[in-house]
Amino acid sequence: MLVVVTCVILFGERSVRADGHGPLFGYSTTLLGSGDASIGTELDWRSGVYMLGPEFAYGVKPNLQISITSPFHLDHGEHPTGRYMAFMPGDPSVEFLLGWRFLHSSTGIATRNEATFYVGVSALTQEVPRADGAPLARQPGLYGALAAGHVARSYDVWVGGGYQHYARWTSNVDDHQTDSLLTSFVVGWRPSFLNGDYPKTDVRFFLETTAEKVGLAQRDYGPTSGDGEHGGPPPPPNPNGIVVLPNSGGTGVFSGPTGLLTHGNIAVQGGILFALLDEPNGTQKHEHYRVAAGFTYYFLGRHK
Amino acid sequence: MRKDWANALRVAGLVVLLSSAHSLRAEYLRVELRVYGLDCELCARGVSESVQRMPGVKSVDISLKTGLLEIVLAPGNNFKMSDLRKRIRENGFRPMEATVTARGEFSGPKFQVSGSNESYDVAKSHPKDDGPIELTFDVR
Repeated sequence: MLVVVTCVILFGERSVRADGHGPLFGYSTTLLGSGDASIGTELDWRSGVYMLGPEFAYGVKPNLQISITSPFHLDHGEHPTGRYMAFMPGDPSVEFLLGWRFLHSSTGIATRNEATFYVGVSALTQEVPRADGAPLARQPGLYGALAAGHVARSYDVWVGGGYQHYARWTSNVDDHQTDSLLTSFVVGWRPSFLNGDYPKTDVRFFLETTAEKVGLAQRDYGPTSGDGEHGGPPPPPNPNGIVVLPNSGGTGVFSGPTGLLTHGNIAVQGGILFALLDEPNGTQKHEHYRVAAGFTYYFLGRHK
Repeated sequence: MRKDWANALRVAGLVVLLSSAHSLRAEYLRVELRVYGLDCELCARGVSESVQRMPGVKSVDISLKTGLLEIVLAPGNNFKMSDLRKRIRENGFRPMEATVTARGEFSGPKFQVSGSNESYDVAKSHPKDDGPIELTFDVR
């Protein structure tokens, strides 16, 4: 697996993480100018789950950005599979995301206050195997998020939250994934000894904290076939007639350091978040940490 | 002999025509523009590369610490300050005050930059000689 991952990283070296300009896991505002673009890739590792996510982003207008992300599994696991990163779906899928920076106030030299509203739609590209039964219906995915931040030369602060809804258009599947919620708080810091002037390699560090609640899987068409837990009978329906599948969903809070290095038109990011709270339901595996690394190439100054 | 004089007059006329056409070109020479909101190397690079592609721009220098964008322009350019400000906004940043060096002449109380439609109220005394002059002034 490591060989595969290494090859994929090397192969993907020319590409980029579309939002490789701020936090790695958490929310931030759009960044591309009108006509600017970026391509990239990001590798995520969740205690045994490997995902690689190619991304492309384009600045339609100064405050309007579109991006396409298509993460896929190199290896899957048994963790709750809801949204756990701000700008990448938690499942192998293709997502179109539109970001509107509705608040943009440059208040001084190197300082800005910004807020962006995101809306996205996604469709699965790979099935996500499940130990307890058939893959869950979870598409199309509909995503809405809000991010706000204060940016300065020596520090940044970002807050955000997003809601991921999973529809159930998949036919012949009774079980479906319910919605998930993700929030984040990020503090960025550029040490004074790295606070050089342009043109110079730029380095920033972030302390990122994410909190997520992944919804339970449900079977709301009645207990027909399938298992409730490792071959056992499904649990009885609740008063609303919905059968809740026990080994699904969960709650987690993760926090840790990430770093961003930009040089020329290239950005490289990496970081690790540790579990402060990890409560997966049922017999799903616990996560102790999450690792991500990204590489982004920017096409700048391409105004007509 | 008469034919030589006629040819000389034609050449002289052509030279006058060409020089008057040249004087219709904008004569911004140097601009120092304060830009708000630039916080990182990529932001500065985006602005720098974008401005570098504007016609007539000879060189661009930018400072994250001062937020100052310094542009040197080639003579006879089609540069306009309004285009520069628009370009900065398209990059997602805020253009502020500027110090401009340009060739032009006074038209009443305003300084008209040669070859452009842009004129400025300049807090400098009107020179007695009405010909084109090179002037450095602040633009708010």
